[in-house]
Amino acid sequence: MSAAQTVTPRPAELGRFDGGGQLMRLAGAVGVVSLLASVVAMFVGSKEWQERAAHSYLMAFAYWVAIAVATLIFLAIFHTAKAKWVTAVRRPLEVVASSVVALAVLSIPLYLVLDKLYVWTHHGAEELALWGVNEVQAHHLHFKQEGYLNKPFFFVRQAIYWGSWILVSHLLTKWSRNQDAEGGLKDIVKMRKFAPGVLPLLALTITFAAFDWLMSLTPLWQSTIYGVYYFAGGLLSGIAVWILFTVNVFHVGHPGAPVKEDHLHNQGKFLLAFTAFWAYIAFSQFLLVWAANLPEEAPFYSIRMGPAWAPFSIALILLHFVLPFFLLLSRDLKRKPRAIGAVAAYILFAQYVDMLWLVLPNRYPGGLHLVWTDLTALVGVGGITLAYTLWRLRAGAALPVKDPYLPEALRYVQP
Amino acid sequence: MIGEFSTPHALVDATRTMRERGFTHMDTYSPYPLHGGSEALGLPRSKVPLLALIGGLTGVATAFTFQTWMNTIDYPLNVGGRPTFSWPMWVPIMFELGVLLAAFSIFFGLLGLSRLPQPYHPVFESEAFRSASTHGYWLSVEAKGEQSSERISQELGALGATHTEVVKGERE
Repeated sequence: MSAAQTVTPRPAELGRFDGGGQLMRLAGAVGVVSLLASVVAMFVGSKEWQERAAHSYLMAFAYWVAIAVATLIFLAIFHTAKAKWVTAVRRPLEVVASSVVALAVLSIPLYLVLDKLYVWTHHGAEELALWGVNEVQAHHLHFKQEGYLNKPFFFVRQAIYWGSWILVSHLLTKWSRNQDAEGGLKDIVKMRKFAPGVLPLLALTITFAAFDWLMSLTPLWQSTIYGVYYFAGGLLSGIAVWILFTVNVFHVGHPGAPVKEDHLHNQGKFLLAFTAFWAYIAFSQFLLVWAANLPEEAPFYSIRMGPAWAPFSIALILLHFVLPFFLLLSRDLKRKPRAIGAVAAYILFAQYVDMLWLVLPNRYPGGLHLVWTDLTALVGVGGITLAYTLWRLRAGAALPVKDPYLPEALRYVQP
Repeated sequence: MIGEFSTPHALVDATRTMRERGFTHMDTYSPYPLHGGSEALGLPRSKVPLLALIGGLTGVATAFTFQTWMNTIDYPLNVGGRPTFSWPMWVPIMFELGVLLAAFSIFFGLLGLSRLPQPYHPVFESEAFRSASTHGYWLSVEAKGEQSSERISQELGALGATHTEVVKGERE
């Protein structure tokens, strides 16, 4: 590495980050209005309409939580691996992970409409018959599954999830900010000792959260890999959000930018890797069901492969795997800030398509019908989360300015 | 013409300077991979990724075709009413053969592009060059036309070469 490649952060990057203020206010305002509209829609109108609006909210909520929690896991993985190059782009990752606090508050509307979403909140043969559950299935629900799928235990689990996520993100962010003030090795040692220990907790909580929020829409259908599938999509979109923050916060590609194409290139490689990972997990789940061909497992896929949903399923494979995979094979694309930013934004779109595919066919086997609450819920939860994230980002420097590994991380070049 | 440098840094800098002065047909030799070495030599982008892609796609296509022919055309078996063209079951094999042929393409493609194995090379004639496998950092510059070996020797010496030597011979 020659001296010419050394980058010294400009004074602006050493102090408080002050960009994105306008976006923060806009996202917050639009988010609050959209959220209010979505929440009101869940309680006003016909029963069918309220249930459909609740599905909109569930999809938007699960979509943004996956990004925040997967980002938190990724941050812990980097600390575990003692990765040095990440130091340059660690702060955006930390603030996205810290948005679990905002999402914990945004989970309240979901908890108010459980009855509109989940069959397991209902009891009695007559009521269950309205949900299309026959007598045998009702017995199974009651005798085999109620020990887990009941409201009190559901809320206990929710408390564990939010408690773990907020605690981990709070500590990792606190130590990182403390390091900005004090410097030295003390805080990085704390982060690196803490992160490996909490990884199993984070992995289990996101797995069970996926079971509770999404898989329990079809309580009679189970898949042990479902949590990994949800996490894979979350990590993919989490990396996409991370790339968008990196490109826009550090103005990658402009002269004097502290973060260079080489960092972006690494993030692009992760995007490619997790595009393949998502497809691998999605196919693993499908292959076992296809090969076994059992009556209790097959319906999940027979609905999605039936005439009403088959075009959408094929579109998902093309949009979520084939297209981004072949785009991201290109080295040049990963090194162009605008191009990789566009692909990252596209991935975020594809991930919402996956949410639609995962949630809607369960209750609406007749095909895809989008409603306006799909958009307002997505923008509402997302806008508030984005505003919170930007607010956290503007609370301090955009680089971990006193991290001992920062100079080395800024000099990073692709081997 | 070969010249020995005492540090990898000096070798990379000397290589870049020599290339900027218009010398061609150069190569670097070091006991371990050299950071910035291929950039200093001005090497074009490697063709190995393209070979890997072609190999991988060949593997996927071969596995798909072969399994379709066996299970659907040549010897169709009805297993519990499943379709004979049960393509999802073929994906694991398609994936495996794709990975295998991609790996082979990388391995043999790299050998081929680097013209390895190479049992003889003119630089092996030099006794001092043995240090390239332990602690020496060497640069070879081919003397052609007006770029006489004397001039190259002077340039290398000025750039900090601790030892220069002329080796004669043709690359096979």
